[in-house]
Amino acid sequence: METIENLINNYYYFVAMVLFVIGFHTMLTHSNLIKKVIGMNIMDTSIFLFFVAIGYVHDGRAPIFLNGVEDHAYVHPLPSALILTGIVVAVSVTAYALSLIVKLYEHYGTVDADEIALIRSREDS
Amino acid sequence: MEAMLYEMLPLWVSLFPIFMSVVIFAVSKRSEKMRNGLSIGTAVVTFFSVAAMYPSIAGGGVIEYTIFNILPGLGVSIRLDILSFSLAVLASFVWMLVSIYSIDYMSHEHGGDRYYPILIFTLGSCLGIFMAGDFFTLFIFFELMSLISYVLVIHEETPAALRAGYKYLIMTIIGGLALFFAIIITFELSGTVSLSAGTLITEPGTLPFLAFLSFLIGFGMKAGMFPLHVWLPDAHPVAPSPASALLSGIMLKTGAYGLLRVLFQVFNIPLIQEARWDLMLGILAVITIILGSAVAITQEDLKRRLAYSSVGQMGYVILGMALLTERALVGDVFHIFSHAIMKSTLFLAAGAIIWKTGLRNVNDLKGIGKQMPVTMGAFTVAALAMIGIPPLNGFLSKWTLSLGALEAGLPIYVVVLLISSLLNGLYYLPIIIAAFFGGEEHEHGHGHEHGHEEKEFALNVDEASYGMIIPVAILGLSCLVFGLMPGNVAFELSIKAAHFLITMGTP
Amino acid sequence: MSNHIPVLIIVLVLGASFSIPLVARWRKTLIFPAAVTPLAISFGLSLYLFYLVGQQGAFSYHLGEWEPPWGIELYVDYLGAYMIMVLSSISLPVLVFASRDIHHDIREEVVSWYYTLYLLLIGSMMGIALTNDLFNLFVFVEISAIAACGIISIKEDRKCIEASFKYLILSALGSGCVLLAVAMIYMITGYLNFDYVAATMTEALSLYPYNILIALSLLIVGFGVKSALFPLHVWLPDAHSSAPSPSSAVLSGLVIKIYAVALVKMLFRVFPTAIYEVVPVLDIVLFLSVLAVVFGSIFAMVQDDIKRMLAYSSIAQIGYVFMGIGLFGDRALVGGLLHIFNHAMMKAMLFLAAGMIIYATGIRRIKDLKGIGVRMPLTMAAFTIGAFAMVGIPGTSGFISKWFLALGALDLGRPFYVAIILLSSLLNGIYYFPIVVNAFFGSKIEPHPEHKDVPASMLIPILLLAAGVIFFGFFPGPLLDLLEQAISF
Repeated sequence: METIENLINNYYYFVAMVLFVIGFHTMLTHSNLIKKVIGMNIMDTSIFLFFVAIGYVHDGRAPIFLNGVEDHAYVHPLPSALILTGIVVAVSVTAYALSLIVKLYEHYGTVDADEIALIRSREDS
Repeated sequence: MEAMLYEMLPLWVSLFPIFMSVVIFAVSKRSEKMRNGLSIGTAVVTFFSVAAMYPSIAGGGVIEYTIFNILPGLGVSIRLDILSFSLAVLASFVWMLVSIYSIDYMSHEHGGDRYYPILIFTLGSCLGIFMAGDFFTLFIFFELMSLISYVLVIHEETPAALRAGYKYLIMTIIGGLALFFAIIITFELSGTVSLSAGTLITEPGTLPFLAFLSFLIGFGMKAGMFPLHVWLPDAHPVAPSPASALLSGIMLKTGAYGLLRVLFQVFNIPLIQEARWDLMLGILAVITIILGSAVAITQEDLKRRLAYSSVGQMGYVILGMALLTERALVGDVFHIFSHAIMKSTLFLAAGAIIWKTGLRNVNDLKGIGKQMPVTMGAFTVAALAMIGIPPLNGFLSKWTLSLGALEAGLPIYVVVLLISSLLNGLYYLPIIIAAFFGGEEHEHGHGHEHGHEEKEFALNVDEASYGMIIPVAILGLSCLVFGLMPGNVAFELSIKAAHFLITMGTP
Repeated sequence: MSNHIPVLIIVLVLGASFSIPLVARWRKTLIFPAAVTPLAISFGLSLYLFYLVGQQGAFSYHLGEWEPPWGIELYVDYLGAYMIMVLSSISLPVLVFASRDIHHDIREEVVSWYYTLYLLLIGSMMGIALTNDLFNLFVFVEISAIAACGIISIKEDRKCIEASFKYLILSALGSGCVLLAVAMIYMITGYLNFDYVAATMTEALSLYPYNILIALSLLIVGFGVKSALFPLHVWLPDAHSSAPSPSSAVLSGLVIKIYAVALVKMLFRVFPTAIYEVVPVLDIVLFLSVLAVVFGSIFAMVQDDIKRMLAYSSIAQIGYVFMGIGLFGDRALVGGLLHIFNHAMMKAMLFLAAGMIIYATGIRRIKDLKGIGVRMPLTMAAFTIGAFAMVGIPGTSGFISKWFLALGALDLGRPFYVAIILLSSLLNGIYYFPIVVNAFFGSKIEPHPEHKDVPASMLIPILLLAAGVIFFGFFPGPLLDLLEQAISF
């Protein structure tokens, strides 16, 4: 009972973990290269969600001061700032990965990893 | 000033040849004569330098100093004592003669540009092993010598040579790694691996046993001890004969030298006896002796027969070590001397025969004695010494070993020595007899009446050239001189060395 | 002025990497000097860093003068200075080699981008070495991941692209794990600065043991994937063997090591060391390192292509570093860290020698390398020295690191690992020595009309590295002294 209560209270983290595992699994098991990239994005996004959720304060407001510091809970701004950086990193990795996929498609004519392996082994033999 | 000169000599005798080998390599592109001359010159200078070191250690003195430290507690150091001197003088003496022999032998072979520098380099590293003041320095030179002599082994570059070389290389690496293991355990247990620090390991235990075992594997592999001898019968025959002489004659002895240092300076006599390691050594020695001698009988290739004979003879050396008494050690060190001289004679003589006739099979050598009398004469003397016929040096060493065995209360070893002498006879005597009294029925050619049939060698060859005969003859005479004769320098040195070792090994 | 040296080193290299394309537009001949100068300067500065740390002890540098925990801090201690020295000293000769070698592997238009990526990689690795902030670490890790994949895929041939893609995906996996670990640590301590985290971690341990455990495991998996710890090494053989040779040299020599150092920093400075007595994390690392050492060598033995063999050998050698970490004794750790430098030198030299052979003769298969020693004696001599160093023959630097690892294992009363080290040395010999033997003895290679000559600009780096291997085999003293101080966390 207590576990379920904890899970519901911390559902951000729970969802983030589920997404992480989904992304991780997709990256490793799907043979379509673009799906791998999508899986990587899901995984990265889940971690960003996790991080930002750490900074969330219940009933908190965005940390913008208009008239001096007010006596109210503010959401911690640091994780959001960090995650902006993280998102940029994820975007650049995605861009790079997609460009590699374009090149692979040019060479092999397919974006399926298993088919590429098959073509490779046929050529090598 | 004089003292400093004497101090530099040990360093000089190992570094000078190494340096000269580079010079020889550079010179070999220009002039063959200069290359040969420099090689012989280096070997001769080295021998006299080694001989000049005698006054330093004559009275039991020891020269030791550290050159530099690589790691805390681990450095390169030099040590000259009676044992190092004995082996160094032996090595440089034989090396000198082999270099002279090589000139004529290699004149018809290829790869001389590679052979001479490596020959001299190996001399330097071999002397470095003897001059080493701690196990780390010994290890460096040991690895250096083993790896560089690989080139000598595969010199002919035939598939058989490459195969033998590969086996040699793998076993060398294994031996080297075992030595590494042993040295590091010693370092861990005692904080130093210097030869001047007294007994390094004093208590028995698992780690000391591991160290002993690894030392045994490392040095025993080099010395051709059963069961690590398997590289020897392949590697020694495929090398060119002067190199075989050095491999069998001297380089095996570096393993024995290492074992002597281990037994008496890493451990001590009571410890070895308490842990019953001497029994283990003894058993291995006996197996080596019997195995080497027995298998040699079955070998038809002359050099292979000599290689197996080396295995058996090194068994004697290990046996002497296992006995742990002073007299046995005298026999031990003296046998190192004798075997080096005997085996070099045999290999050089065999080399001359093979060079002249192109035949290696024992059965084809009937009647060669008449056509190459000096060569076969030296061969005979050395073979008889191997068997142990008085008054030759082989007899003296076996006699001393037997006395040592009796002194230690282990007469079984005397029986083993006798059996192996018998086996030695079984494989040497047929060669000698066939060489002098064998030969095919052959129609002698011009200059004699027809129908006058003499037994002689199938081919018509002359005696080997002077450059080859003289070293062989000198070595053969040494077998006689260092036997039961007054003024036996080698024996005197052995007595002193044995006394020194016993003193080091007794707490 | 001296205060800004830490960040100057990183900024110099990163700034140069961005300016190279501009220089390329301006004047092509200036590309190489523009790339080499910052590296050379940073090498000089790294030696100055040693001097500074020796004088005043480890010091911190606050970026933008913002105090931690608000600002990013760079912490310069012996370990950081050591890694900067390793990075700059090895990347310099490789860059010199690359200036000549790269032209036949990649298109002319992208040559300047190669330098950019190279400098970016080195700069980001320097950042990893010096940073004291968790998220900063992550950012630099990501930069180096992209740059590392970049210098492989710049060759644009199908094997490269495929290998680079695999590396990227697995690397992203690793980065994801690392980021999640950072998130976990942030969650329980509220700080991102190493020192602050370490201070609060001890009390957090009692409150949130599971989080710390998960963070630890994620870190090991994450950094393990990136530094090719067995069994997470699967990307390495393809990536390192298909890349252009200077890239392979840097990848094998430096990139996989810096992640191991990052792991060391995290394991020993961030997490309380008391944790390792309770959780067998280091034992797991040790076990995996043993597998790496043995299986890396076994796989290397059956390889046909020389660069693939060298790549598998790298897997085995990084196992030594992890063995040093896993054993967690003083001397073992020193041995492992020293092996970082030694292996960087050896492996870079070996890859450059292989690259030289491929450049001059186009031969990649080991079987076809017969007699090459006659044609290229100096290159093969360097290769031989590298082979000796890999096996651990005394007189080479490889022996010293193995000696320390073995001593460290014995210190802890675990002689089994000494046996493993020796076994792997034997296996190393089995696959290195036949190449050396075949190169010099055996049959001869006929001069081929297409064989190019060996240019000096490619030969000198190889010989320099070979000289370094021998030099540090005889005089490792200074390195060992500073490493012994480096591990006093």
